[in-house]
Amino acid sequence: MTWSRENVQKKLVEVFGQHKQTEVDVSAESEIVADLGIDSLGVMEVLADLEDTFKLTIPDEALREINTIGDVATAVLTRLENDGRLEG
Amino acid sequence: MSAPSPRTVAQAIEDAAASSSTGYRFLEESPDVAPYHSYADVERMSARYGGAMQAMGLRKGDRVALILPDNADFVFAFLGAVRAGIIPVPIYPPTGLGKLAGYLENTLHIVAKSGARVLLTSSDIKKILGTIQAQAPGLEKVVAVEGVRTSNDKLRPEKVDLDDVCFLQFTSGSTARPKGVTLTHRNLAANVHAIMPVGLSIQDGVDHGVSWLPLYHDMGLIGFVIAPVYHRNSITFLPPLLFLKRPARWLESISKYKGTISFGPNFAYALAVKRIKESEMEGLDLSSWRIAGCGAEPIRAENLRAFAEKFSRIGFDERAFVCCYGMAESTLAVSFSKIWTGVRTDVVDGETLWSKGRAEPVAEGAPRASGIVECGMPFEGHEIKVFASDDDTSARPLPEREVGELRILGPSVMQGYWNDPEVTKRSFAGSYLRTGDLGYIADGKVYICGRSKEVVIVNGRNYYPQDIEWEASQVEGVRKGNVIAFGTMKGPSDRERVVIAFETGEKDEAAKKRLEADVRKAVQQSVGLTVDDVVPLAPGVLPKTSSGKLQRAKTRELYESGELLGRTSAREVDKLDLVKEIAKSQIGYFRHRLFGKSDD
Repeated sequence: MTWSRENVQKKLVEVFGQHKQTEVDVSAESEIVADLGIDSLGVMEVLADLEDTFKLTIPDEALREINTIGDVATAVLTRLENDGRLEG
Repeated sequence: MSAPSPRTVAQAIEDAAASSSTGYRFLEESPDVAPYHSYADVERMSARYGGAMQAMGLRKGDRVALILPDNADFVFAFLGAVRAGIIPVPIYPPTGLGKLAGYLENTLHIVAKSGARVLLTSSDIKKILGTIQAQAPGLEKVVAVEGVRTSNDKLRPEKVDLDDVCFLQFTSGSTARPKGVTLTHRNLAANVHAIMPVGLSIQDGVDHGVSWLPLYHDMGLIGFVIAPVYHRNSITFLPPLLFLKRPARWLESISKYKGTISFGPNFAYALAVKRIKESEMEGLDLSSWRIAGCGAEPIRAENLRAFAEKFSRIGFDERAFVCCYGMAESTLAVSFSKIWTGVRTDVVDGETLWSKGRAEPVAEGAPRASGIVECGMPFEGHEIKVFASDDDTSARPLPEREVGELRILGPSVMQGYWNDPEVTKRSFAGSYLRTGDLGYIADGKVYICGRSKEVVIVNGRNYYPQDIEWEASQVEGVRKGNVIAFGTMKGPSDRERVVIAFETGEKDEAAKKRLEADVRKAVQQSVGLTVDDVVPLAPGVLPKTSSGKLQRAKTRELYESGELLGRTSAREVDKLDLVKEIAKSQIGYFRHRLFGKSDD
């Protein structure tokens, strides 16, 4: 399955919205832990969800670069593009 | 069982090299990759890594810091250093998620305190560490491990004695001051003997361990790297983050490799119950699993029972549970419940336990009945006794069923903290090590009730309330010195929950909400801990002793009974001075509680 950038963003907002522990609106700038109140175990659960949704793997090394929702988007988009599954 | 003559870890590696049928398997994220190294191969690989470290100029007794996220790299580097007499200092790798500043500070402290001359890490982490070398004067180089993997430097044999330091285990804990538990080969030989043949009736070369535990932590490193070398047991390792992402991989690995032994903290069993789907259980068989160890954080019997209930249909036997008490200062293990007996609890009157410090047995289901998990007897050659916390020389052990500080003695107990004579001195009372844990002994068995040091343990890591309070105090709007952080086992969570209560002059509700968020964020970023509840209070509400010292235990009690929240939301501001006045003494404080309540 292929994804457009827009649909990836939408999906991320939706998934993080389900897991967030605070009232903050999810945006690209939201810090996963500090703003959304998702703890490190919760983050790993979200990652598993995202891997299943987008059919890809986000390795441990990539996690070190992740702080905000925008960082997650970058990680997902890069992998979709490498797989030739990113539209446009 | 009589102890064989103790061997150094270095000797154990050489002895194990005779085995080509057992060894380590390192699983990776992709299920198709599962490299296996027999102990003969482990001996060769560790010699390569050890030789490379000698070629870097490291000599016997020098320290090398290891930040190696790859399990295979870590194991070979650790064992290689040990064989060369170089003292490894394991440090956990950065996890991302915006905790970098706190991580770097912690790492710098450990590097400086240990006096490490070389830091061995992966090339991508080397970039993250940036300028660490400039800030740690003793650190001569930061080396990327990739080059070591293919190095051809030969290990030059080094004589290693039982009383040489084997490695330094820096306790994850206070961000300000992690302490380096110093363990000798003799400590390790003693504790491995206590764990393997004595505690778990391990069959050499036959039992098969499966572990996702981080190797920079004592349970993963000693339990699943060092102890198996002594007894030539095969171990299958999973990356820790893979377990956290896909808990089913833990059970799949036990099923696939017919694992007989696996350990985890309480949270791991709770996570498996919560996250593993019915569909993921199809085709799994856990009937080989005879020892399911649980330790490293407070054990909740109901979590383990829920695990047994969920996974019994794929062959898990609840008798496999072994409840463990241990700490890095005692190498790893202090006591284990008897194998194949499952989780046992001592049902006592909760009120008497907490108010009088006495564990009085009551019938199950009695009002105020509280089940305390049994953690077995001390190992042969070791002692566990209970003392009043002010018994500074350990002169008078308390009788059975009296709650006090647990103190231990024996060959597994460390000599002290590295380069920290003052802290070392304070951690001993007479010849006994103070564990900082509260508990009692009944019928010779150990029961843990809590911690006198007030450490909060979340997902296997220790956090000190002082650190959390300090960071929260830095937030603008929080009254300095009027913050209390504590852990509570009460509430909906399956782990210890972390609560911060603080005083503020802010009255506007929206502003208070913002302040709550700021406090969460500050603690998250500096300490790396997600706070479960933040409670803003009006000035003067937090309990203080007559000396002005804030009382964590009292605050926890008020919070758990719901009184802390009740009082705060309803209290009127014009009572403030009065409250401050009477809250000065303990008696006044209780009067205020009554007064406040009746008026609210």
